[in-house]
This record gives sequence, structure tokens and C-alpha cells, in this order.
Amino acid sequence: MKFLCVSCDEPMKLQSAKPPEDGSINALFSCPTCSHQIAMLTNPHETQLVQSLGVKIGPGEAAAQGDGAESMAARAEAGGCPFSGMIAEMESRDGGVTWTEDALARLERIPDFVRPMAKQGIEHYAKTNGHALIDDAVMEEARGRFGM
Amino acid sequence: MKSYFDITGDGGSQVVAQVEAQQQAIADALAGVRYKLAVASGKGGVGKSTMTMALARALRHEGQKVAILDGDFNGPCQARLAGLETAPWIPGERGLALPHNREGIGVLSFGSLLPEARPLEFDSVAQGDEQTWRATREFATLAQLMAGVDWGTLDVLLFDLPPGAERTRQFAQFLGADTVFVLVTIPSDLSRGVVARSISALESSDTRVLGYVENMAGYYCRGCSEVRPLFPASAIELPIPCLGAIPFDPELAASGDRGEATPPDHPAAVEIAKTARQILESLNASTSSQS
Repeated sequence: MKFLCVSCDEPMKLQSAKPPEDGSINALFSCPTCSHQIAMLTNPHETQLVQSLGVKIGPGEAAAQGDGAESMAARAEAGGCPFSGMIAEMESRDGGVTWTEDALARLERIPDFVRPMAKQGIEHYAKTNGHALIDDAVMEEARGRFGM
Repeated sequence: MKSYFDITGDGGSQVVAQVEAQQQAIADALAGVRYKLAVASGKGGVGKSTMTMALARALRHEGQKVAILDGDFNGPCQARLAGLETAPWIPGERGLALPHNREGIGVLSFGSLLPEARPLEFDSVAQGDEQTWRATREFATLAQLMAGVDWGTLDVLLFDLPPGAERTRQFAQFLGADTVFVLVTIPSDLSRGVVARSISALESSDTRVLGYVENMAGYYCRGCSEVRPLFPASAIELPIPCLGAIPFDPELAASGDRGEATPPDHPAAVEIAKTARQILESLNASTSSQS
């Protein structure tokens, strides 16, 4: 979607985009010639459609220049983990397991969009295998067991 | 007044560039994959998932390095078929490490994370109305998984796809022309008719369809040591090669439920092995003809 300043016949530039509040994105565009501003306000269905693409909405072309899983994960942050509601329910299954700082840092290597789900899976593995503390050794044990 | 196409970029978010970057990230992640093989049908309940795992096992037996990406997010079976339903997703050197089963088959499936009776639920700022965005979200998630897993070097990456003729075409467009398709059917008119529709749907894309596998092609009668028909002969001819006819074998289902391979001397396993060899020969032949 592009916006054109009809008076100047100039494409408008995105100045800011606020994260969805109550499901609506507030994106501010301005004309680089006359500084006329407009705001695009999406309804929740439009917001959800954009989030479903797994892209980030906001100014800054640098965000689109990178590649690889890391930058993809960064872009996905716009919508966060798409499974957070489901995971919150599942977490009650595996309460009482704690993480070391090193293990949590290692978890950062997992792409953001599935990190909470992966975290929950590791907690479930730990609990069912009698580990109350998740450290590097537990993750190495799981890697060894499943040929990773 | 300027038209849409007179304007470069989109004002700031560069959504098109982000999508292109996703495609590049997928290409980078799959750079070590020699063949991409999608197992589809159009028809549900014909044994796509079982056949995907059985073919993967047979290819592995042929010495191939294989992995499966379970693309059926709403009925992920591959984790259980592989015996990996309790495998957590662990960080690897680059992104997610790929779980492997005892036979060395890599499998990425939401079935490893979700309890079997639990559906995959996406967050949504829209209240309900999943029909307006769910398919898009699933394809974006598939793209993120393809880019986010450390696939390493593979001879064959198999995709287990969900049913639906139109979905089959959508997956073909998503996966690209370098993904080869194999369709699974059973001998009934009903199933072959749906698969014929899938073939027509795929004709409009650049997708190469190797052929079809006929599952449940009769049953092996232990009393008379013959394969006898399960369905009346179908009048529907499919315009692609038959790669193999797999007899119904209760052990195929039972061993799959246990996450184990079917014993190799079982009639179904024998035919699946032949089919896998034929698929491999076809894949290798296509590579030879292109080089």
C-alpha cells in the first residue's frame, strides 16, 4: 500500500507506526514536499492480515535490508510470538522448572517467533525427565537423545 | 497523477523487500538440500503422512540423508510417526537444531511440541474470523521455519502437505519450481477423482509432478499369498506415472503408531522400497538431464 499527496503528486513517507492497540495500527505518513500529514488507522482484521505476513511495519529501511533467521526473527517481533496465548495455557503443565542464565542466553539462538514455544517444550522435557533446573547439561542431554 | 507503479518502495516499511528477504533466508537455509520432495494428494485420509515417513525410511535405507518438514500444521503426525513426539526444539549452531530419530531421519513437526489432542492456535487481534488470515499466517510460519532451522546437508527434504487440491497448488507456488511433487491416492474413484483435480491444479504452475503412489492397492492375503483388491477397479485414468502400488498392511499403521519402521519383509515395506528407489532414480535422472 502506498500513499500519494495529491496536491504535490509526491509519494508520502512513513514517519511512525504505533504497535497495535486494541488491534489497530496507527501509521503516520507525511508529504516530503508540503509536510501534509495523514494517519492510516487499521481495523483489527487489517492488522491481523499484515501480522500474518510475518513482516514488520514501521519506518527504517534498514529493517528490510538484512537476511537470515536472526533478522527474520527481528522483523517478526512486530507481531511477537504468534502462539503466546496457547503457550500461556500450556505453561501451567510444566511449572516449577527454573533456568540458569547460560541456558536462557542459549535460548536466544532460537528464532523469536517460536522461542516461547521451544522454551515450553524444553521445560516439558526437563520435567518429564526429572530435572528441576534447566542448564546447558540438560540441553546437551536432549540434543544427544534426539540426535541434534 | 502518479500511479502505484510510478512510486518506488512503499513509503517506509518496505514490506515487499521484507518478503524478498524472507525468500532469500529460506534459500540460504536450504542451500545444502539437494532435492525437495513434496508429498501431497488433494484428498484427505489416503495416507500421505504415513507414506511420507515410509518413503523417508526407505530413502534412508538407500543411504540418503533425509529430513521431513511437517507442513500439515493442523494435523501434524510426523513427530509420532518418527518416534519424536517428545523431542524438544533446542537451539543449534544456527537457529533450531533438527531432531533426528533412531534411524537418523530429521523431523521438524509441531507434533513434537503440542499434545496430540491440542490444535495449533495462533494469536489474533481480530476477534475470530480466522478464515480471513489463517492460511496467510500458516504460510508465513512455514517460511519462518524453513529459514530458521539448521537443515545442514541433505539429499532429500520431504514436505508432508495437508489435503485440498487448491492448497496443493498454493504449496506448489510457495515452495517454488525446484520442489518436485509426488501425489498419493487410494484406488477408489472418489480419491482418484480428487487427485486428478490436483494434477489439473498443478498444471497451471511450473511444478514438476513425478507421479503418483497408489496406497491401499489391495491387501495381502496370507491365506493364499496373493494381493487381492480392496476397491472396485477405477475408471479414472491419471495422466501421470504410477510410481508404486502399496498393498494395505495393518502393520504399516501399527508400526507408524509406535514410531517404528515396518519390518522390511512385509509386503507394504517391499513395495515402498521399490517406490522410493524409483523416485530416487527419477530425481537423479532429472539432475543428470539438466547438467
